Parts: sequence; structure tokens; C-alpha cells
Amino acid sequence: MSDKRRVYEKDYLPYIVRYGKATGWLAVALSFGPAVVLAVIYGVLPPSAAVFAAFIAMASAVGINWFVEPISYFPIIGVAGTYLAFISGNISNLRIPAAAIAQKVAGVEPGTTEGNIVATLGMAVSVVINIAILTIGVFAGNSILVRLPEHILEAFDYLLPALFGAIFVQFALMRLKLAPIALGIALSLTLAVNAGWFNFLPGRPTYLITLGAVFGTIAIATSMHKREARRD
Amino acid sequence: MEYIQIANSTPMWIAVGVAIALVMFQALIFARKSYNTGKTIGMTDTQMKSAMKSAMITSVGPSLVILTGLLSLLVTVGGPMAWMRLSFIGSVMFELMAVGFGAEAVGVNLGAGDAMTQVAFASAVWTMILGSIGWIVFSTLTADKMASVQDRFLKGDTSLLKIIPVAAMLGSFGSLVSGHLVALNKNTVAAISGGLIMAIVVQLAEKKELKWLKEWGLAIALFGGMIVAAIL
Repeated sequence: MSDKRRVYEKDYLPYIVRYGKATGWLAVALSFGPAVVLAVIYGVLPPSAAVFAAFIAMASAVGINWFVEPISYFPIIGVAGTYLAFISGNISNLRIPAAAIAQKVAGVEPGTTEGNIVATLGMAVSVVINIAILTIGVFAGNSILVRLPEHILEAFDYLLPALFGAIFVQFALMRLKLAPIALGIALSLTLAVNAGWFNFLPGRPTYLITLGAVFGTIAIATSMHKREARRD
Repeated sequence: MEYIQIANSTPMWIAVGVAIALVMFQALIFARKSYNTGKTIGMTDTQMKSAMKSAMITSVGPSLVILTGLLSLLVTVGGPMAWMRLSFIGSVMFELMAVGFGAEAVGVNLGAGDAMTQVAFASAVWTMILGSIGWIVFSTLTADKMASVQDRFLKGDTSLLKIIPVAAMLGSFGSLVSGHLVALNKNTVAAISGGLIMAIVVQLAEKKELKWLKEWGLAIALFGGMIVAAIL
């Protein structure tokens, strides 16, 4: 094991896991703060049957994502990124783009020791910026936002598609052979889901597109890599 | 008392403030540890500062999009809950759905124009919380274990470590972008132009060794793609 790897595995990761777990469980507890305030200070408590019914509705709509997302993002964001991103959210639209650009600018490759550390740094910075902007927004924002012209608010709808296209291209340029395969799998699954082929599954099965594209591309990349390694 | 007075009361601000402070705290200690470890394994200050700067620049655009979502949440659940829910895991769509389900479970149909009541608000708060802790619980439980699953899959072939994250990126962003590509509307225009601008910017920055362009690249591509789609 190289010295770098040893520092990463014997010092960095244990620290991240210890604090990641502590902050994760604390986040679960503190999530309930507002509900506790409503119950204790204002004496407002919804009937438990209602909460249960609403929870079941949510679980059937998004519950599969509680498991699918951490698993399919793990190969990209790693251990530290998982602790960070699944508390702070906004993974595909903010955390991963910040991590990716940080790696690119620092000149480090995804998956390496340096790559993992820089990705975490980038994601952590994005958390700070995001919270700062939301905090300004929530205190001053209402009056600013209502004054923004309608067409500017509308234009913001196009920012995410542009972001997804740009990030895809950034990584496509790193693996030119793999990119069309990934996009091919994703496009055919998208069309299949839109055509209703998977309607027998609960909810709108868009998670199938992510799962299929992520693990399908990993499988093909792995076998391509092994074939190349054998040829060498 | 009107529910909105409770929703915007000082105890609510305090409860959500504590939760948001935790997210901020986690980001700060992860950033500090990553920075220090980066130095230990031989990365330069310039490399890491530049990575942080680019993550900062890239975070602004997506954060503004999240901020516009805050507005729609603000009117129904008040400032504190909107602020907290968008700083934690979740998204505007998810939170609005949770509010809908939560209120409906106590017989208040917001979509049909029913007025929010205290109990409906409390039920919405519980639903937002319970609907989102699934992500935190699952990722906190499994983050370190997923690392050993990945190690077992690699079977000591560390060269695959560089390929899997890129393959996973291509798969997940391929699936995010394909929904917009098959939509054949302005989102399609935004995704394609965002990708094209990124391709040009990346090539240019690399050929001419322009560090500022690397740092601003993603921000240029996402705002550029957005503007093209809005104007066309």
C-alpha cells in the first residue's frame, strides 16, 4: 500500500466515518425539531393515523429512492460524499457538479485518493455556498423574488437541463468510447419507461433508468477494461 | 391563531436554525479534514484553493434555482420550514408533494383550494420529515459498508477504481439528460447547448492552459445553455 493510500485509509476515512455517523444520526434527530416545537410549545399534534397514511403515500411515491440513490451515487461520491450529500441533498444538481469541477481544476482523477479528497472539498464548499444563498434568500428573498420578471424565473427552468448536458459532456470527453454506450442505455430505458413498458412496477419507475444506466455502464466499462488488460 | 403565525414563529426559526447549523458544521469539518489530508499527501495549496474556488463559482447557479423553488414552498409552509427543507435532503418537488399528502391525510385538499389549518400544517411537517429521513438513515447505516462491497467487487484490481466512477457518472448523468433529450422541447435545446458549450470551453481551456476558464467553465456552460434555450 502506498503512503498516500495509507494516510487515506488509516487516518482520513476513520475520521470521516466517525464524524459522518455522528452527524448523520444527529441530523435524523434534529429533523424532528420543528415537529417537536409544534407539539410541545403550540400543542398541535396531527392524529397518528393521518401521519401514518401520509407516510405510506410518500413511501410508495419516493421510498425506493431512499435505497436506489445512495447505492447508485456511491461509486461517484464515495464514503465522505455519501455522508455529506444525503444530509444536504441536491446531489445531481449541485454536489456532484461541484465535486466534478473541483477535480478537473485541481487536475486529479475521479477514484484516486486525491480525487476523493478534492471531491469532498468541492462538495463541502457547495454546502456552505448553498446554505448561505438560501439563508439570504429566505430573509430577503421573498421581496426580491416577487420583483423578478416572469421570464427570468422561467429561464431558470432551463438551467438544470443545461447543467446535466454540460456535466455529461465533461465526463464524455474523458471516456469517448464509453459515453455513447451510457447515453444509449439511458435513452432506450427512458423511451421504454415513457412507453409504459414497466408500468407493472409501483410508482413511476424512473429509478429503473438510473439503476440500469449506472450499473449497465459500470458492467460494460469493467468488461472493456478487462479485455484491454488481457490484450496488453 | 392562524397556522402561518406558528409556522413563522421564533421557536420554529430556532428549531430549524439548529438543524441547518449541523449541516454547515459537518461540511466545515469535512472540508478542513480534506484540506489537511490533501496537504499531507502532497497536494499544493494552489491546487486545493483553485478547486474550492471553482466549486464556489459552480454552486451559485444551481443554488439560485433552488432559491426560486423556496418561493413556492415559502407561501404554504412559512419561512423556517422552507429554509430547513431546502438545506436538508429533499427537493422542491418532493417537499410540495409531502405537504400535499400530509394535508390531505387530515382532510385538507390544498389542490382544491382548501385553507391550511394548524393540524394540516403539523401533518405536513411530519410528512416532510418522515419522508426524507429514509435517505439519511440508509446512507448513514451503509456508507462505510458500501466501501467494502466495492473493494470486494474490485478484487484488488485498483485500476478499475479510476474507471468505475466515470462510468457511474456517465450512467447517472446520461439518465438525467436523456429525459430532457427525448422531451423535444426547450429543455432539449438547453441540454444540447449546455453540452456543446462545455465541449468548446473544456477544449479551449486545455489547449490554451487558461486556468480561469477551467474554473468558470461549468458556470459558463450552464448559464449559456439556459440563455440559448430561453432566447430560441
